[in-house]
Amino acid sequence: MIHRAFGAALALAATVAYGQSPETLSWLRKIHDATQRLSYTGTFVYQNSGRTEASRITRDAAGDIEKLEVMDGVPREIVRTKDTVRCYLPDSRVVKVDRRTERNFPALLPERITALARHYDISLGETRRIAGYDCQAVVLQPKDDLRYGYRLYADVASGMLLRAVTFDASGQSVEEFTFTQLSLGGVKRDMVRPRHAGREWRVEHAEAAPARLAGWGLAAELPGFHKISELKRRLGDARPAGQMVYSDGLAAVSVFIEPLEGRRGAATGLASMGAIHIYTREVANHMITVVGEAPAVSVQRIADAVEFRRPQ
Amino acid sequence: MKERISALMDGELDERSAALALDAIAKEGEALEAWRTYHLISDALGKSRVLSAGFSARVAAELAREPTVLAPSRRRPAEPRRWVALAAGVAAVSLVGWLGFAPQQPSIAPVAQAPKPLPQQEARPAVVPLPSGTDDYLLAHQGFSPRVSLQGMAPYVRTVSEPVQRARK
Repeated sequence: MIHRAFGAALALAATVAYGQSPETLSWLRKIHDATQRLSYTGTFVYQNSGRTEASRITRDAAGDIEKLEVMDGVPREIVRTKDTVRCYLPDSRVVKVDRRTERNFPALLPERITALARHYDISLGETRRIAGYDCQAVVLQPKDDLRYGYRLYADVASGMLLRAVTFDASGQSVEEFTFTQLSLGGVKRDMVRPRHAGREWRVEHAEAAPARLAGWGLAAELPGFHKISELKRRLGDARPAGQMVYSDGLAAVSVFIEPLEGRRGAATGLASMGAIHIYTREVANHMITVVGEAPAVSVQRIADAVEFRRPQ
Repeated sequence: MKERISALMDGELDERSAALALDAIAKEGEALEAWRTYHLISDALGKSRVLSAGFSARVAAELAREPTVLAPSRRRPAEPRRWVALAAGVAAVSLVGWLGFAPQQPSIAPVAQAPKPLPQQEARPAVVPLPSGTDDYLLAHQGFSPRVSLQGMAPYVRTVSEPVQRARK
């Protein structure tokens, strides 16, 4: 009896400690389901560091195909199917093909949504009208400085995500995606076909397959970030590379390992674009490039922890 | 002497020893150098290093006694971040290597070894432009972001974003 009471108290304590109401978590599930289930077409703007770029995004849920077209300047396109992403670059007449042998992309599964509460305080925010849709904000406030926070605005009726704001520790927005126009449903197959025939274009096949990268690892993992994938791949057709991916369930950071083979390594240092940070350094005659949608300090700490130990 | 500076920085000297250390620094003519270095370093330090309790107060007290040498602009001695930075300036020789921010400060570049590595403290990295294969990295990375499950492929727009594509050339 005492045990049972204690157990119940523990369970209650866990719920209270995470402080998430079932309602907020059900909102995240609703967004998740809408992302997989809905067909839609709309225009969204991508903003970071004072830059704004408009794109059209169309999803055919029945065929599980999505297309993204850049609206301003060069009409670049990306078409994503279940296991392949094709990136059409008309300015250089190149198609980059990223194909996986794994059937599915690692995804945030609905049952893992509850676990997000370990690293984020999740709450409901304001309601607001965006592109004609009444939206509810769901706020993921990080519990430490190692990850960004998110404000997700979803259509109350359908759960469709209309706006996503990534913010830093000071609450400052670092990156935003906002639909300015959106139609749900009515998507025909030809709307997700690439406009570029690409017949005479150069095709860069970046194959990837799960593999163990013997000897490579992190001296210490970043709190909350666990390895979710380890693979061998090619980058941009020719460059062989290893890739290890670490995630806290929402944000992800990739470690790319490329043999230097005599060529000069890239400059050690940190590059940034919006919420993305890229840190490059050299380890054991390899170029290490760490790429992630995480604060600079997290990307750098992961990069600094990369080590090679000769396998025994 | 370096050991004494290190101990001073770590707050391991009592009041008398700290006074002696500071005297010695001043007599050896390094105080002025330290003062200059302090100006270079204070910005780089940001919200960094945690010193032991009472350290900055002790340094402040010592420096208040010697305002002509170490505090020409008569800063208020109780301003903690300044004094931490000043202490760092005094021991710049050992700190700079650890900070590693130094490309634009060659005058303090040749560096002795840091007496103790400080855990949990990141050096400020050099800021570099987006590397030339950024679109390849992003394309390869993006599919692993669980966020795609909540947002569809919108985050892929980074791969074809203008600054990233410009970095290809």
